[in-house]
Order: sequence, then C-alpha cells, then structure tokens
Amino acid sequence: MEIRPILSALLRSKTGPILVAVQVALSLAILANALHIVSERQAVAARPSGVVAEEDIFYLQVSELKNQPTFNDMVASQARQRDVLRAVPGVQSVAQTNQAPLSRSGNNTGISASPDQLKITTGAAFYVSPDSLVKTWGLKLTEGRDFLPTEVADLDMNKDDYQVDVVIVTQALAHKLWPDATTYVGKTLYFGTGKDAEPARIVGVVERLQSTGAEVGERAEMSIVQPIRRISKPRAMYTVRAEPGQRERVIKEAEEALRKDAGNRVIIRALTFEKDRLERYRADRGLAWMLVTVSVLLMLVTASGIVGMASLWVTQRRKQIGVRRALGARRIDILRYFVVENVMITSAGVAVGLLGALALNHLLVSTLELARLPAGYLIGGALIFLALGIAAVYGPAWRAASISPATATRGVV
Amino acid sequence: MFAYYFKLGLRNLRRNPALTALMVLTLAVGVAASVSTLTILHVMSGNPMPHKSERLLVPVFNNGPLEGYSPGDEPNDHQVTYRDAMNLLASGPGERRTAMMGVGGSLQPERKDLAPFAVAGGGPTRDFFAMFEIPFLYGQAWSAADDKAGADVIVLTRALSEKLYGDVNPVGRRVRFEGFDFLITGVIDTWNPVPRFHRIVGMGAFDREDELFVPLASAVRHEWNNYGNTNCTGNAGPGYQAFIDSECTWLQFWFELRSAGERPALQDWLDGYAAEQRKLGRMPRKAPNDLYNLTEWMEHLKVVGNDNKLSAWLAFGFLLLCLVNTVGLLLAKFSVRAAEVGVRRALGASRREIFHQFLTETAVIGLAGGALGLLLALGALALIALQSKQLALVARMDWTMLAVTFLLAVAAALLAGLLPTWRACQVTPALQLKSQ
Repeated sequence: MEIRPILSALLRSKTGPILVAVQVALSLAILANALHIVSERQAVAARPSGVVAEEDIFYLQVSELKNQPTFNDMVASQARQRDVLRAVPGVQSVAQTNQAPLSRSGNNTGISASPDQLKITTGAAFYVSPDSLVKTWGLKLTEGRDFLPTEVADLDMNKDDYQVDVVIVTQALAHKLWPDATTYVGKTLYFGTGKDAEPARIVGVVERLQSTGAEVGERAEMSIVQPIRRISKPRAMYTVRAEPGQRERVIKEAEEALRKDAGNRVIIRALTFEKDRLERYRADRGLAWMLVTVSVLLMLVTASGIVGMASLWVTQRRKQIGVRRALGARRIDILRYFVVENVMITSAGVAVGLLGALALNHLLVSTLELARLPAGYLIGGALIFLALGIAAVYGPAWRAASISPATATRGVV
Repeated sequence: MFAYYFKLGLRNLRRNPALTALMVLTLAVGVAASVSTLTILHVMSGNPMPHKSERLLVPVFNNGPLEGYSPGDEPNDHQVTYRDAMNLLASGPGERRTAMMGVGGSLQPERKDLAPFAVAGGGPTRDFFAMFEIPFLYGQAWSAADDKAGADVIVLTRALSEKLYGDVNPVGRRVRFEGFDFLITGVIDTWNPVPRFHRIVGMGAFDREDELFVPLASAVRHEWNNYGNTNCTGNAGPGYQAFIDSECTWLQFWFELRSAGERPALQDWLDGYAAEQRKLGRMPRKAPNDLYNLTEWMEHLKVVGNDNKLSAWLAFGFLLLCLVNTVGLLLAKFSVRAAEVGVRRALGASRREIFHQFLTETAVIGLAGGALGLLLALGALALIALQSKQLALVARMDWTMLAVTFLLAVAAALLAGLLPTWRACQVTPALQLKSQ
C-alpha cells in the first residue's frame, strides 16, 4: 500500500485535511453523547408501570356541589357513584383511589424498617383505596393476598387521625427495607421514625407499581397501598377499567350517568392513563427528538464536507492523476489512493473525536448530572464515521478514476 | 466599492450553485438550531421584573426536626409554615409583604347556560397586587380590612371575567366559588409574566395560570386545603387547626424592600426572628435562614432545566461544526478562482482590495444563510410550540432574538470566511499569469 506517499502529500497541504478531520472529530464527539442520552431516556420511558393494559384505564375526578355535607352523606354518595359506574356497560372494574401512577401529583409518605432509625429508609407514593386496586389495575401479587373487605376503613380527614395497620408494598420497596429477606409477608414497616412512627403489617407484595412521579431510578417503584376511604370534601376520584377498545365510549357514558345521578350539580374531569404517561415523558421525548434530528444533520453536514473537499482535491489533481494513469496506474489504484487518503484523515478525526466525546461526556456528567458514556457508543460512533467517510469519498474518487489520461495531460488545469 | 463587491457577491452566488447552496444551507441549519434553543433558554431565564428583582426577596427557614439532620442539609421545602407566614406578615420589615397559598375548586356561574366548572388560583394578601404590579382592568384589590376579616371578596382575571360576564364590568357582583358567595372587587388585565415566578413551588414556572384570587384569610377561614405543594416532616394530627399549627410548609412568602441595600437588615431581622422562635422550642436545627432575591430564587429552583442547557450546548456544538464545514467549502469555492485573482492583482488591485472583495462575498453568503436560518428557526419554534402549552409559552421569537439571528449568521460566515479569504490573497500574480 502506498501509505507513505499519501501521507507526505497530505502533510504538504494540511488545511483541507485538517478541516475534514476536525469535522469528523466534532461530529463524533456530539453524536456519541447524543445517542447515549437518547437511549437512556428511552429506557426510562419504557419502564413498565405495573398496571396491565394501561390503554383501557381511565380516571374520573368527581366534585359535587353540595354545601356542608355530613360525613355519612359523603360516604353514601360515593358508594352510590361507584354503583352507578359499575352499571355502565363495558366497565370491567371500578376502584376509588386517591391518585394515579405517573400523574406527577399526589401523596407521598416516609417509610422505615424500624422506628429507631434516625432517617426514613425511603419516600414512597401512598395509594389508598377502599376497593381493590390489585384487581382494577391488574397488579401482580408475588406474595401474600389482596385486602379483605373487613380491613377497609372510612377516614374523616377533618377529624380522624388513625393509621390502618395493613399494607401492600411493591417488591422493590420490600427489598429496600429488608435487603437480606426472601419473604416479606408478616413483616412490619413504619410510617416515619421515632416514637410517633405508626406500624403497618405487610399482607401482600406486588411485583411492581410505579409512583406518581415515576422518577428516574429506584424511587419510581417505591409505592404502598392501604385499604382506606379518605373523605374530607364531597370529592372523589375513581379509576375504571373498560373492556378492551371501549374506553372512549365508556368515559362518555360514565360521565353522563354520574351527571344524571347528581342532577347536574357536579363537576367531572376525565383523565386517561395514556395521557398521564404521555405527559410524564413529554420532555424526554422532545429532547430525544431534538437529539436525533441534530445527529442526522451532523452526519449530513460531515458527509457533505467530505464530498466537497474530496471533489476539490480531484479537480486540483486532474493533471497528476492523468500522469499516473499514463505511467500505468490502473483505475483501481487511483480509487484506492483517494479511499486510503480519506481513511487516514477520517481515522485521525475519529481518534481526536473519541477524546472529544469523553471530554464532552465528562463536562455533561459534572455540570448537568448526566450518565457516563459506555464504551459501546465510542466504538459504534467510530465505525459509523469510518463507514460514512468511505461512502462519502467514493463518488469523487470514482470520478477521479474515470479521468482519461489523454485529456488530463493535455495541459488544461 | 462595497456596493460593487456586494453586487459581485450576489452574482457569484450563482457560480458553483451546488457548493453555494450547500454552504447557505449548512449555515442556515446551524444558525436555526442554535437560535431556536437560545430563544427558549432566553425566554426561560428571563427576568420578569427587572426593575425591582433586587428588592423582591423570599425567606426560607429550615424548620424540620433535629432527628436525622446533619449540618449543611438543605431544608425539606422552599415554602414557609402558616405560623411563620402570619408572624412575618404582622411584624416583618419591608415596604410590602405577602404570603400566598393555592386555591382551587368549583365555580358556579349565575348564567344558567354555563355549567359549573373547576377553577384554580391564588390566595395571597392585598399587597400581592401592588408588589407584582398587576394591572387592573376594572375595580381594584380588596382592602386591608378584608384581609383582616377574611372577607369573601374575589379578584378575577380578565379571561375568567369574560367567560362569565362577557365584556361587562362585573365589579360589585357576586360569584359562587366552592359553595360560597364572593363579592367581586376587581378584574385584573392580562398578566402573564414568563417565567411565572410568584408561586413556582406547587404551580410551576411555565405551567398553569391563576384564574382568580381570594384573600388568604378567607381561604383559611373556610378551611380550604392548599392547592399546590404541602410538605410535612411529622404527623400534623387530625383537623384543620392542627394543620395550621403544625410545622408543615405550604405558603410562599415575599418581601418587597424600599432598596436593595436593606437586604442585610432584613437578613438580621430574620436571624433574630428565628432565634426568638428557637426559644419557643421551634426550628431546632439552628440552620442558616436563607434569603433569595427574585433572580437568585429562580436560579435556586432550577427554572431553566438541565435539558434546556444541554440542548443549547449541543446546538452550539452543531453550529461550530457547520462553521468548520463552511470554511472547507469556502476554501474550495475560492481556490478555483486563483486565475481571476491573478489577473486583478496584475491589473493593480492591492491585496487589501482582494481581501475586501472576498470577505464581502462571504458576508453575502452569511446574509443568505441568516435569512434562511431565521425562517428555519421560526419553523422549528412553531413545531416546538405545538408540543405542549408549556413550550408554547417559551418558544416565541422576540426582536432581540431576531437581531441576534442575523448577527450570528453574518458573524459566523465572516469568521468562516477569514481563512479562505486570506488564502485567496496569497495568490502570486506572476505564477497565475504564466500558467495561463
């Protein structure tokens, strides 16, 4: 291979090759980091929530326009509303609830393994329902059982302050509390720490239930469920599972039925799980789109730079190519010359780019709290740009190889 | 000569059309990417009250329990307790003071054709309106006596007022909110500061807007829960009174000082206050009492997210790549014109003249790239604004950014053109003429 002559030719006119190498280096540094961020965000957004067939789940927030209703009044009307919802055709299951996974707003509580701890073990999303969330959301029990109807407590938030002593936890939370245990049912966890910490006995463990925030990291799966009906105002939220494909119709009919039941003195807000999920990851999706767009543009710009510079070199060296052809060089030799030259330039760019990618990643990790770049992205990025370089130079190189020796040496530059 | 070179530059756009188009496009895409992300960053990090941001201050006490606290730990929340809010309102220094909660609930219109609907707003004290210079369309803020009595008075926003009453002045009428009749004292005109700084905790800097305001004392008298973030470190106990007396933090507090110079005095006052509270058995952590002015506050709450900064950085990295690319393409474009330079030099043009000519040509390309980049940026921003209401609020082009676009494009192109232009000037006339 004629590496030495190509190298010395390159070293004689450095500007062009350096510009191309810088482009490759910059693109590689940005591309490797951008693709890494995109795949990270996608992995976060793809985590399962623990709720099966999310597309069939919706929520109704119902507030009745009543003045100073009594507690018993409110309990009765909520029981009635649940019956009204259950009677709507296409409804599979209804549960009253206080909040929804991924909805980004709700109740959290501090959980500890022992009241003697100084700090709580973890915060957790606090779901309460007098009905079965296990059934309506399709949560998978890996151990123990669902709540019994006798365990349900009606809580007057304006007066009562008692904790219910049974709880269902997620596997992740149980493992966080007792890392060495293999079975969790029967164990006692505490709300808070210190002498006021309230105990609750674990009766069931569900495989997974994401928190309202669906935070990045383990906090996303820290959730607990208790069998409570909490009442402070004539307001309630119901989560409904519709038969597959029936959601939109069921929402409409359920709203109408509730409105009729309350004689129109009611405000109803309907939400779907799908929409909550969409909203939760909207920013991540937006960033991913932007990064993908920038990555595609990066490659286009870099490729166009290589094509442009290679074309220029071919024009400049027409005469030289003609002479070489006349002296017996085959077309393949000319083609190989340009491809090898380009591989050398691209490789230099890739080498600098790898360092650049690491430096950029270091900057992103230290100032913007992003994750470290795995080596795979560096290798992948390097291969992409080597391939891109060869593909981009192939056209101009082919044109160079097609130059006929006669016309090229005729003297016109 | 400049006009002539400019004309030449325009004409030369047609020379090597593919190369020129590539350059203009590359520049335009680079400029569009950086300008659209910069616009969003610019709007997000804007100062909504530049003339008094130094005088608007937020206090934060670290009032959590001593258990589990190590010195230097951040407070659990950025809001204050009801007790602290009332104490600061009653005796704190400063020209104006306000504390506010979030309120939300049902609104029943008088009109029979309008079904009841859910609304959300704020529960501040009277000073809120003057402090944030909120313009009134009709009427005025409620009185200090209303604040004291917790009267059922209400200020509507223009949008809500028009929804309920059309173009009519509704001051003096009553509106039913959460089951109680409220007397309308005023309607505020459109007030849409970006970022929405007055109650970022619990409301967001770019999320929803307040639709109405009622006195804090009225909301508390009706025992309404905070419509926003409430943070309790311990069990508050049952009932509303226990909640009010608890160490739960749920209110946003603002001081307005006469001058920024009064800040140290306010800090001293707060430290004194906290020391007094400690004697009563509160605030056992003995942590510093923080004070933030408006801009520090937005910085502290990370109004501009890391993702936005990341986007802007990457966009500028991309612009840099586009510039390097343009340098290469310009080199290619200029290098085939060595003969032309040779002739001009032989006919008496100085290097300076050649330099002027080629740089002007570069500027023309920059202008073309800038114009196209502006169109692309507008398109990109429109696309971004479609994503969500929040983004619609921040993805808007203002005149500053428009000017920046052009300057950026032309400056970038000129910068990219320096090396190729310098190279073009190095042509030796004799060599060129001989080879012809």
